[in-house]
Amino acid sequence: MSITKESRFGFGGGIRVDALFRVLFGSAVVVAGILLAGVVLSMVVSSLPVWNIQTPLSFVFGDRWAGEVTQPDGSVVGNYGALPVIWGTVVSALIAIMIAAPVGILAAVYLVEFAPRRLAAPLTFFVELMAAIPSVVIGLWAAGDLSARLRDSVEWWASSTLGRIFPWLAEDPEAPAAQSVFRAGMVLAIMIIPMVVAISREVIRSVPQSLREGFIGMGATRWETIRHVVLPAARIGLTGAVLLALGRAVGETIAVTMVIGNAEGIPSSLFLPGQTIASKIASNYGEASSPTETGALAALGICLFAVTFMLSLAIRLLVRRAARGAGQAS
Amino acid sequence: MKRSEVNAVGSTQTSKTATPAAGRADSTDKATEGSLNLQNLEVFYDKFRAVNNVSLNIEPKKVTALIGPSGCGKSTLLRAINRMHETIPNATVKGTITLDGIDIYGTLVDPVRVRRIIGMVFQKPNPFPTMSIFGNVASGLRLAGALSKSEIAGIVEESLKKAALWNEVKDKLNEPGTSLSGGQQQRLCIARAIAVRPEVILMDEPCSALDPIATLKIEELIRELRTEYTIVIVTHNMQQASRVSDSTAFFSMGEDRGGYLVESGLTPQIFTSPTQQLTEDYVAGRFG
Amino acid sequence: MSVLRFTATDLIKAPSGREAQRRRADRIMRGIMLATAAIAVVPLIGLITYILINGLPFLTSQLIVNSPLDKEPGISNAIIGSLQLTIASIIVAAPIGIAGGVYLNEFASPRVSSAGELLIDVMLGTPSIIAGLFAFLVVVPALGFSGYAAIVALSVLMIPVVMRTTQEVIRLVPAGVREASLALGIPVWKTTIFVTCRTAASGLLTGVVLAISRGLGETAPLLLTAKGTNDTEILNFGSTMNAMPIVIYRYSSSPDSLQIGQAWATALVLLVIALLLNVLVRFRTVNSRVA
Repeated sequence: MSITKESRFGFGGGIRVDALFRVLFGSAVVVAGILLAGVVLSMVVSSLPVWNIQTPLSFVFGDRWAGEVTQPDGSVVGNYGALPVIWGTVVSALIAIMIAAPVGILAAVYLVEFAPRRLAAPLTFFVELMAAIPSVVIGLWAAGDLSARLRDSVEWWASSTLGRIFPWLAEDPEAPAAQSVFRAGMVLAIMIIPMVVAISREVIRSVPQSLREGFIGMGATRWETIRHVVLPAARIGLTGAVLLALGRAVGETIAVTMVIGNAEGIPSSLFLPGQTIASKIASNYGEASSPTETGALAALGICLFAVTFMLSLAIRLLVRRAARGAGQAS
Repeated sequence: MKRSEVNAVGSTQTSKTATPAAGRADSTDKATEGSLNLQNLEVFYDKFRAVNNVSLNIEPKKVTALIGPSGCGKSTLLRAINRMHETIPNATVKGTITLDGIDIYGTLVDPVRVRRIIGMVFQKPNPFPTMSIFGNVASGLRLAGALSKSEIAGIVEESLKKAALWNEVKDKLNEPGTSLSGGQQQRLCIARAIAVRPEVILMDEPCSALDPIATLKIEELIRELRTEYTIVIVTHNMQQASRVSDSTAFFSMGEDRGGYLVESGLTPQIFTSPTQQLTEDYVAGRFG
Repeated sequence: MSVLRFTATDLIKAPSGREAQRRRADRIMRGIMLATAAIAVVPLIGLITYILINGLPFLTSQLIVNSPLDKEPGISNAIIGSLQLTIASIIVAAPIGIAGGVYLNEFASPRVSSAGELLIDVMLGTPSIIAGLFAFLVVVPALGFSGYAAIVALSVLMIPVVMRTTQEVIRLVPAGVREASLALGIPVWKTTIFVTCRTAASGLLTGVVLAISRGLGETAPLLLTAKGTNDTEILNFGSTMNAMPIVIYRYSSSPDSLQIGQAWATALVLLVIALLLNVLVRFRTVNSRVA
């Protein structure tokens, strides 16, 4: 094959085409960046009308979503308070993660360390299948089936025992609520457990077998090995899994909306209906006609985005630290 | 950390600064303590027989080397001795292994205890990365529980000294175990194994991942440790075996791809005047 | 027997208090872990059973063939709508996602690459309602509640999925493959497309399938954009459109028992599609690993 002048400079036009190619593909990244910037900017700009009639502080800490009030002197005062939805978001996500983190991590440990080989693969498959189910389907099931079961079992038990001591677990036995913050938390837990399991499994599997052998070789039981060697070694990855799941729980809209009840204000009990940021946006967008009403929803969006953004940042920092740590060891 | 308790069963620790000799006061017979006997031992991975009818006597307080070409089941045999082999699914052991006359595979015997008495040092040093140097050595002790902080500190120091590592790490006991060099890490693993006061220490090619200088240090250490522990060492390095061991057992691979014991005896004899031709071929470097 | 030192004779003695405690703890924790694995699976079984039981009776040809405006209403316009929206969105999202993923892996400097990772992370973590809100704030005022708005929202959700999968798969292509191609004098751009991407093709497809599965199931962004309608729209992205998730959501709180039943049936359909796609992805990844 002779190397002619033409072929030396590439079959397809060489350097110029390469440069064009790079620009073209690089622009895809730019487009993605523009989209993300657009997401943020659109919410900020849309929310401006609200900041004309109230302060961000009164928005975040206001305890009712009361719209705007025209004062006698003609000025308008905004009374959009996001505290109830922020409360609902935080509480439901907390309930979810407090259940999903231990259950998910321990289930992952079981799948990796103890499950008999024949059982491990199908069981893992089923656990992770839940993650593939659309949230509206889960919401439908939760509203129709899970809700009733929880109400008749856990909620009834908790409110009749602990509910006597703690008012936030109380419930009217004659008329238990059709929807509640607690149920939203439970649905979220069910939805994020598979995420925790999937990531934790990978993390635990990647702990070197030699570490386990070293501990067992000294006369430790399997659980002791898991507790003192495997889980600490997997700590960073497991934290990442929990953070990712938390981000999902905070942002989930449809399944939550279908079981939380869309009630205004901070409920006096976990077993009463409430709202989350996501459910409020989904419920109110249709009625938002004025710039301030739309702006208020956009302001809510900013809150939600800020939380998920910080979680994503935390995860990336965690991953970087893990990568650095792995380079250092041995 | 729990405060030390007075032990209701058996002898009590008379003082916190008990020396190793006092700690052994409850043993039955110091001289034969730590003698291992393998009788008709067969070790299986599922249906595959990796170790084929081995009968071997391992002398107490001596170093016994297991040599032979790779794939002859030497490591598998070693792991059967401290009951690590059974942690692999479908792995089984037939035959008998007795320690000081007690069958370690007996029905009443807890493998967790066996591994306490028979310790192991692995091929690649495996200090626990989430624990400090101190924590690594103390990890086995803390499992057993019921020891005071000062007792643990005392044993950690003693073990590190015996492993010839104390001087190098005494000022940085809180550093992570992985911050040491390869040879130091392996000595740390030895200290960790010693800390729980085993009778036997099994070593699976402990120097193969180390440089020659670190290897030499470990070999010296093995010679010193021999006075207190029975040591069984698997090694590919024949010179190492001849330097370090009192007895040697030579393994080879049979036609069924399982390992079998060709011959065993005192080290000088195996290397200079073996009785089997195969042995002579191996030590002369004609194969393997 | 001293707590400090075991001898051989201790092997056959009964376990001491502390040891018995450790054994008990080991057994208890094993039981707990088994229980958590069961807890993780039980809801799935309950869900599938419930949807099957409630949805199957309503899974009729009427459901699939008729539109909501027919005398015997069905959801045909939602099925068609879902198909159109998903396909249109993936046509937009896949090239951007693949091109971006390739660029970040092959051409970007470490700093750009790192920023790109963060960008993808943030986009992936963005809740779907926010994507819907974005389209609601930007596209709807200009074009009204429309399929175009829905495509924008779905793209925001799909692009990072494709990008991330592309990145991971391209990274796995061995350097030797690229180098061999370049050493033959093939220019960089051709190497990238015909060698690197072709090697990773199966993985790239997986990324696209994952994105499709995400797009099919999302409800919130569709509510705020395409809004749902009873008309059947074909290739009319400028108007409101219907989709299966919207049907499920809206019909679930309907007083009409037929609509509730149809919500279940639609959920069943969506469930089956989602599961099939998931199984497809798994088998692709298993096969490519085996190969």
